[in-house]
Amino acid sequence: MILDEDKNIVVKCRHIKKTYGSGESKVFALRGIDLDVYQGELVMLVGPSGCGKTTFISIISALLEADNEGFCRVLGEDLSTLNSQEKTYFRGHSIGFVFQAFNLLPALTAVENIAIPLLIQGVNRAVAMKRAQTILDLVGLTSRSQAMPGELSGGEQQRVAIARALIHSPKLIICDEPTSSLDHESGQLILELLRSFVKKEGKTLIVVTHDNRIFNFADRMAYMDDGRIVKIETNVRTPDEKLL
Amino acid sequence: MLRIALQMLMGDRAKYIGLLLGITFTAFLVTFALAYFAGFMTQGFALISENNSADVWVMDPAVNSTEMTINMPSSALARVRGVKGVSSAAPLSLNDLTARFPNGRFQTFQMIGVDDATLSGAPFLYKRGSSKILYRPDSVIVDSGGTSGKLQTPIYQKDKWPFDGVHLDAPTRPLKVDDELLVNGKRIVIAGVSQTIHRFPPRPLLYTTYSNAKRLLPSEHRRLTFIMVSAQTGVSATVLAKRIEQQTRLRARTSSDFKEDTVRWFLINSEDVGDMAAMLILAMTVGFGVTGIMLYMFTYESLKQYAVLKAMGASNSMLLKMVFIQAGASAFLGAGMGVGLCAIIGEFVSTIDFPFRMMWFTPIFGIVGVLIVSITAAMVSTRPVLKMEPGVVFSGR
Repeated sequence: MILDEDKNIVVKCRHIKKTYGSGESKVFALRGIDLDVYQGELVMLVGPSGCGKTTFISIISALLEADNEGFCRVLGEDLSTLNSQEKTYFRGHSIGFVFQAFNLLPALTAVENIAIPLLIQGVNRAVAMKRAQTILDLVGLTSRSQAMPGELSGGEQQRVAIARALIHSPKLIICDEPTSSLDHESGQLILELLRSFVKKEGKTLIVVTHDNRIFNFADRMAYMDDGRIVKIETNVRTPDEKLL
Repeated sequence: MLRIALQMLMGDRAKYIGLLLGITFTAFLVTFALAYFAGFMTQGFALISENNSADVWVMDPAVNSTEMTINMPSSALARVRGVKGVSSAAPLSLNDLTARFPNGRFQTFQMIGVDDATLSGAPFLYKRGSSKILYRPDSVIVDSGGTSGKLQTPIYQKDKWPFDGVHLDAPTRPLKVDDELLVNGKRIVIAGVSQTIHRFPPRPLLYTTYSNAKRLLPSEHRRLTFIMVSAQTGVSATVLAKRIEQQTRLRARTSSDFKEDTVRWFLINSEDVGDMAAMLILAMTVGFGVTGIMLYMFTYESLKQYAVLKAMGASNSMLLKMVFIQAGASAFLGAGMGVGLCAIIGEFVSTIDFPFRMMWFTPIFGIVGVLIVSITAAMVSTRPVLKMEPGVVFSGR
């Protein structure tokens, strides 16, 4: 992995643009995004629906190609130079995902869901399951290891999803509306969990959210509108003092 | 990951059972249809099957089935007997005749005239001893030949040989020993009722001796349809058949070859077989279509799960393996259950004279057919898996 000139920069994006369609039906999803995200940071992307947040995190996580202009370097990798297989490998080893709809596989138990990233990497099943059980303990669901997703509450499912995102020790974790399906209390617990992990392990977290009840967990807030970042704010409070 | 693929497959019980039932039904349908078809074809060469002591069948050079025949001169028998390697040669006569029942109703029979000396070709009688009863004057053995309700004779004496015209609506019962019929104004007496292999197409059969056949159909100059030959010990049927052909210029076929000839003849010439095959193909197409669509739908409905796996780093080849393992597992299990079900039901329907014959190729065809359809469906359903954008896992996309 090539490290950026500033070794603390995990995501470096310049003039990122993305358009869908062509001709009269052309839609400008991103109109030139510039953003740096540093190691150990919790950055929240906020903005109205359709402003390009999801498109932007899809590009950062190598799930979507940006237009040719500009560049996006994540964990030192210029994503535009990676082929499909390399992107798949990159995602599998370097990024953890937490989704709004949890996206747990309904046929697998909680502990099996958590083990998936390791199994994809070809780790022995027994080893993966043991590691999954350890992570499950960390998120406080020891007794629910054999529960199926349908038997878990929304908050429990999201904790399983977080454990799944963390099991392979990714350097970057991308969360898409992680609290929008949860009640306030569960949402706060989820963000506390994520933040504590980020701070303890020195990982980086990018959260897309509409939920202003969790804004106080962010180190920085990037406000997006109409395909652009219109404002970046740094939270004035000291997160480590207030939240951990 | 392959284990996860199987867990995904079996996770949604209702969907999985539906898929499995669909495949089971298809495998059952295909196997049963083929066994049914094989059963009919087996009945097509019933005459050869029930004379299994004949190694070689000799016939007119233009004959290539038991279904459409032309007779040979009587001298052919002596010529065949003169061929080196022939142990015995028995004549067999096939002719259609119309018999009148006592109430005036008439029915066409296939008359089978068997060798007077050896009675080779006569049916086995379960209830009433030996086929030697054919030696009695005017005696015949009747057989339904797969028909039903065609061997009915009047119950009451007043309806038998009436002077006031036919009594077609008279109450009847099945023919039994000592009942009488008329053929060409000559009396025949039922000496036995046999239950041989059903015929295709079904037709009532009437067995009698070769000499009695001659008496019943005096207008036929040639009555010798087949010569059933037994080879001497150490002489192969194939060699003997070739030798007979060379020396007599008649057509000689081993039993197995003649069965194949007859099946081929039916496949080419019989409209019934064409209709049956069209129905079978239709049934199989529907079954295969159902299986293919169900498998495709199963994969399609799991696209979101595949997208999650792809987002988390699963390669396309890994996802393809998962799709194929799901299709293969469902196909194997469903095909096995379908073939098993077919065997069980076949065993049952065989007891009620249903034309069912599970030949070696029927389960293979059923299983391979389902596998091919499943793999094809899996191949088709891999397209959306490969083409999908893993970004769909995010909200709003």
